[in-house]
Amino acid sequence: MKTSIFFLFLSLFFTSVIPVCSQSKSDSPTEQNGQKALLIQAVMCEGVQHYAPVTPAIVFSIDSGKISCFTAFDPVLENMFIYHTWYHRGRMVTRKKLSLKSPKWSTFSSIELRAIDKGPWIIEISDLRGNIFKTLRFSITD
Amino acid sequence: MHYDFILFLNSIQWRDIVDIALNSYILFRLYVLFRGTNVFRVLTGITLLWILQRIAAAIGLIVTSLAFQGIIAFAALIIIIVFKDEIRSVLQTKNLKSILWGLHYKTIKTPIEILIESIYELSRRRIGALLVFPTIEDLKEFTQSGITWNGQISKEMILSIFWHDNPVHDGAVIVKGDRIAEVGVILPLSKRTDLPSYYGTRHRAAAGLAEQTDALVVVVSEERGKVVVARGDRIIDIHDKLELEQILRDHVGVSMLPDASRKKENFRLGLAAVLSFFFVSGVWFSLARGLETLGTLEIPIEYMNRTPKMQILETSINDVSLNLSGSGTLIKSIRPELVNVRLDLSKAVVGTNTFTITPENITLPPGVLLKKVTPQTVKVILDVSIEKKLPIQADWTGKLPEGLTLESVTITPGKVKIIGAKNILNNITTIYTEKIQLDNIKKSGGITVKPALSPASLKVDPDSTDKITLTYIVKQRPPAGDTK
Repeated sequence: MKTSIFFLFLSLFFTSVIPVCSQSKSDSPTEQNGQKALLIQAVMCEGVQHYAPVTPAIVFSIDSGKISCFTAFDPVLENMFIYHTWYHRGRMVTRKKLSLKSPKWSTFSSIELRAIDKGPWIIEISDLRGNIFKTLRFSITD
Repeated sequence: MHYDFILFLNSIQWRDIVDIALNSYILFRLYVLFRGTNVFRVLTGITLLWILQRIAAAIGLIVTSLAFQGIIAFAALIIIIVFKDEIRSVLQTKNLKSILWGLHYKTIKTPIEILIESIYELSRRRIGALLVFPTIEDLKEFTQSGITWNGQISKEMILSIFWHDNPVHDGAVIVKGDRIAEVGVILPLSKRTDLPSYYGTRHRAAAGLAEQTDALVVVVSEERGKVVVARGDRIIDIHDKLELEQILRDHVGVSMLPDASRKKENFRLGLAAVLSFFFVSGVWFSLARGLETLGTLEIPIEYMNRTPKMQILETSINDVSLNLSGSGTLIKSIRPELVNVRLDLSKAVVGTNTFTITPENITLPPGVLLKKVTPQTVKVILDVSIEKKLPIQADWTGKLPEGLTLESVTITPGKVKIIGAKNILNNITTIYTEKIQLDNIKKSGGITVKPALSPASLKVDPDSTDKITLTYIVKQRPPAGDTK
């Protein structure tokens, strides 16, 4: 499956607090302690426009064509990389390596949808050492 | 040949010996109970028919064999219907002990001398008389109007019964053991045309009963004072007391006779026992060890003595193919439920275990031999059972109505404790719910669903709930071009 990765430039004005819209809360909230970035927003959406997620949801129709995982960090203490790891029914489909830049940063990864992608999905947002910031759960349906 | 015989002896199990002994005894008891009756004669006939049927089948006489089969089946039914009274009288007159064990020697002696003296006294006085001596057959079916008497036999009593002024003097008496059981009994008249013209009604009655039963009837002629004995189709003129004594002794049973006759009876019973043994052995051999037939059965493997903490993850096979041999009858009648293949897992370890299937693992019906097992080995992968708390995820399906978006869902409880094999649970990170249809969702709300556990060996911990509540928020999709 071909996926596309986009880096979103740093936006200092993106510091307003947006509630986290996801199916579940972080599976391991304490894992963020001691990390060099703090996740303030993680959401599945149909796209990203003007540095913000478009139509956040937990269920996406296959007709959407593309979906994105949007994440915002504040603060980011030093430049670093994170992973967005996509799992379909427990099987890893793709892993995106994304950069974070100090002092705060937003970034996202996307995939193109195909008929065989229907079903439950998980995205793990983690640092390079495997510490998980958050797990997002969503479904792709008809 | 000698080697084959030793092999054959070695193959006989204790069950075979019990099988033969039990059935030989049952056959012998049937002989003891029914000997001398019509049932026994018919049973003998059926047995001969069965032997002929087997011979006909063996040499390929198909129609003859089928005809014999039909006759035998029909005859077995007829026996029960036609001889029901005779069977009942045999069974009713004996207690359980005598049915199972006793040899039925007659213990009550009939006083022959008194009877002979009485009969000749009646003859001398020209008093007509009819005396019936039954054996095994029940006479009730053939006689009428008997009056129960049960009096000890004595010369005076016999004379008084047949005295002219006695109301029952025209009927017959029935002698059982040392007693006169009934008096005034009306006997069926013979319809024979070859009887002498000087035979009166009394003679015809004696002949009539003797023709139809195994009873012996003694007649004393009122007019001529002659003594006549009717037995079967024969009517014998008795010339002296000695002749009558001999006939009566022959008829009323062996136990009252000298030791020589007792020995003769013992010999007869012994011979019957030996013949029963050989007959049953022959039948057993023809059924169990006769013509060898091969058959194949697919039998599922059963696993025993598994440690409760262990789970069977995978087996290389579920069924084994058993090649069996035995007589055609046994192989045709064998059903998979009668055969078991069991593997003992008490010494199995976590991981892959390879078991060789041996005859000790296989239970077969008696008389059936194992030729081959395919495959001979089975691999069983075992794992220990563990518990693991796993997050739950909704498995949505279908399509939301146009213009709606499912923004978020809260799942309660968020995690569920699952019990399953370590190897399986280590690879599972999420438990999904059963499928939840989106098509009917029009506004925010809630739903209760169950987890969909796959593989089926996974179980929800009894302390954990298997009812999962989902509370979801539905929103209108923003108009195109509008961004949040």
